[in-house]
Amino acid sequence: MEGDCHYLDGNLAAKKRVKYIQRVLNAIGMESDRIAMVNLSSAMGAQFAQVATEMTERIRKLGPNPLRHSPQAKAPDGPDASE
Amino acid sequence: MITGEQKPLEEIKGFLGDDRNVLVVGCGTCVTVCFAGGEKEAQILASSLRMSTKLGGDPKEVSDVTVQRQCEWEYLDVIEKEVQEADIIVSLACGIGVQAMAKHFPEKWVVPGLNTNFLGLPEEQGLWTEQCQACGDCVLALTGGICPIARCAKQLLNGPCGGSENGLCEVKRVKKDGGIPVMETDARGRKRPVMEDVECAWHLIHERLSSLDKLDLLMEVQPPKDWSTSRDGGPRRIVREDLLLLDEG
Ligand code: SF4
Ligand code: SF4
Repeated sequence: MEGDCHYLDGNLAAKKRVKYIQRVLNAIGMESDRIAMVNLSSAMGAQFAQVATEMTERIRKLGPNPLRHSPQAKAPDGPDASE
Repeated sequence: MITGEQKPLEEIKGFLGDDRNVLVVGCGTCVTVCFAGGEKEAQILASSLRMSTKLGGDPKEVSDVTVQRQCEWEYLDVIEKEVQEADIIVSLACGIGVQAMAKHFPEKWVVPGLNTNFLGLPEEQGLWTEQCQACGDCVLALTGGICPIARCAKQLLNGPCGGSENGLCEVKRVKKDGGIPVMETDARGRKRPVMEDVECAWHLIHERLSSLDKLDLLMEVQPPKDWSTSRDGGPRRIVREDLLLLDEG
């Protein structure tokens, strides 16, 4: 759970990094909701299922990765859609 | 070390204009240590530019390369090929590296991806503080290793001003996170930046000299500081005749 991590304060550090990635996604023009962090223990199977369902719903509403449907750069370039 | 912060993506995108082939060049020295322009940041910026320009309907070819130091010619020779293939170079080095790139590749358009901030100390992980303004006539021997030029808001040289209170300076600082001001709402519902306390440099100097029993240093009358060694004399340079290469011509 938050602050109670197998790696001591690892999940508090991760929370800040996730916030940073959301900022990067916003700057790029992607919905920052595409990444989320949730704290669950290994004994919370039901909650895990619920959170996973909610996340799936949210992503479904946002639709597929818009980069897959955008025009390509003139010369074909790397696997952008998976960046 | 020299510290910097990456410019907002929008601003960097604005530099690109119609150029198609963009090369982001990172620097492996100071700006790597302050997590602003090293290999990792160059890769993230290149990726962000690729994704963002694609989403905007004007996709660019963006690649990246990082050199050991952008402020030395020999390290720039190594990336000659990549530079020649690009229409525009986004340098993630400090202002020195950007200028070195522009001088070394005079036919290339080079733009900065960073704002170079100050000469600072990585005080702890994620925190850099300004320590020196390169005044060219160091006074640290008189001030116990605490610089009043860089760390006193008024650059005073003869002790604290009347605004020093409980060890804090009367001049507050706008609190920032990743270069962005942290905002709060006041009692009347208006947004304003959060201000934070700054230590009074002269309080620190006094404390330190007193703890080392060297307060008498402050009693000596000092001549006015020679500011001609600082920016007052225009751009500065260092010449070492003993090191200059012999003119073979
Ligand atoms: S006195 Fe001048 S050289 Fe010395 S630390 Fe301060 S700004 Fe830098
Ligand atoms: S309070 Fe201290 S640091 Fe601030 S301006 Fe006055 S002497 Fe300088």
